[in-house]
Amino acid sequence: MNVIGKSLGNGTKPLIPQGEELARPPTRPMVLASLAAAFMLTLLPWPEAALWLVPDFGLLVLLYWNIHAPRLAALGVAFALGLAMDASHGLLFGLHALSYCVATFLVLMLRRRLEFFTLKGQAAHLAPLFPLQKALVLLLGLAYGQGQADWRFLAAGIVTAALWVPACMVMDRLTGRPARLDKVAGG
Amino acid sequence: MSPATQAPLFVREMGLATRFGLYLLICLVLMAMDARYGAMSIARSGFNAVIHPAQQVLIWPFEFLRDAGGFFAVHNDLVRERDRLLRERGELQARLQEYQALQGENERLHTLAGLPSEPGLTRVPAEIIRADQDPFTRKVIVNRGSLHGVIAGRPVIDEAGLIGQVTQVFPASAEVTLLTDRNQSAPVQAKRNGMRILVSGMGNDSLLEVRYLDLHADLKPGDILLSSGLDGVYPAGIPVARVLQIELPRHNPFARAICQPLGGIGQHRHVVILMPEKRQ
Repeated sequence: MNVIGKSLGNGTKPLIPQGEELARPPTRPMVLASLAAAFMLTLLPWPEAALWLVPDFGLLVLLYWNIHAPRLAALGVAFALGLAMDASHGLLFGLHALSYCVATFLVLMLRRRLEFFTLKGQAAHLAPLFPLQKALVLLLGLAYGQGQADWRFLAAGIVTAALWVPACMVMDRLTGRPARLDKVAGG
Repeated sequence: MSPATQAPLFVREMGLATRFGLYLLICLVLMAMDARYGAMSIARSGFNAVIHPAQQVLIWPFEFLRDAGGFFAVHNDLVRERDRLLRERGELQARLQEYQALQGENERLHTLAGLPSEPGLTRVPAEIIRADQDPFTRKVIVNRGSLHGVIAGRPVIDEAGLIGQVTQVFPASAEVTLLTDRNQSAPVQAKRNGMRILVSGMGNDSLLEVRYLDLHADLKPGDILLSSGLDGVYPAGIPVARVLQIELPRHNPFARAICQPLGGIGQHRHVVILMPEKRQ
């Protein structure tokens, strides 16, 4: 029996990509298009009273690709996406770029470990990262004299963290990744 | 599979930590340049010009939904609205004649006194297209920009009063910082007794404050504050706020007045940017 070619019964991940994942690896256009779409989502006319709750879709998609295609989306992509966010939202140039680079760096450090966790386990690892990124933006803005920070915006980080699992499911569907191991192995 | 998707067999690039450090450094330098010297405004306005069409397309379905909602307005409401507008138009025309007479008289008095006459104002109507997700300032984006002759620093009003000031201009849009932003303030004058004070934002959409008010200042709840025109930014006589209450000092020697902005901040979609009239 070929052990390498099949998913192991005890829930561990096989060493070599399987099935569809092997057939349809993420490509650069796929990564860039999904990042652009997520960025555009943040530009929708959200209601003014709930702006502090609007999740950071760009960061969700960026971290997704950091985990699944680190050769395609690493620090350079994080930097570029951050600059786009800063330019379009009228913030200090480099504010989001820096915080995204920090988030990407942490995820790339954690990546080897994250690969062996289920979706929920990954969510638990990444949950503190989203409010941390928002806090970093607020603190850096304060340090550079941008005036009073609105601390309610930390809530957006929590909303983003809560959206990690659904976002991953949607991204898996859109990019044609196969169902995750935790489901295949039945827990 | 493109070569970029595979890990190279022999690593010939900087380590992750080195690259991370490099990007951090670039970000910190960019932020310092932007904060200290405003060096990035060209890049920002260029980028906004590029994404503006995409943004318009994104907003379109939302506008369509709103318009579709308006399509089903009841006939009675429309008739009532039309009657009200006709009545208002009559009143406004009467007041406009009065205003023209006053303006003529003002011109004559200015020439008599040998003073240069003040330039009039042209009004650029604009529509709010988006509120920015910015934790530091309260601002909105309007759909008029440098192509329509908007310049930074001009006041923005609605039919009831002052709303804010144009702070950045892009080709087809402009950023308006609202009066309720904590870093915005406007010089005002009480309508009742002409007392000159400064009113500032509190970071809250429905309140403004007078931060350092003399304990014995003659200001009462209900007083209307008009812009005094002393800063050269806001023309004189625009309604700004109504005093809600006076807070007596507790920890410092100054009283504080809480006011309510008269302009519909955060309510309207249509605003007017006041531009100086070109003089012949």
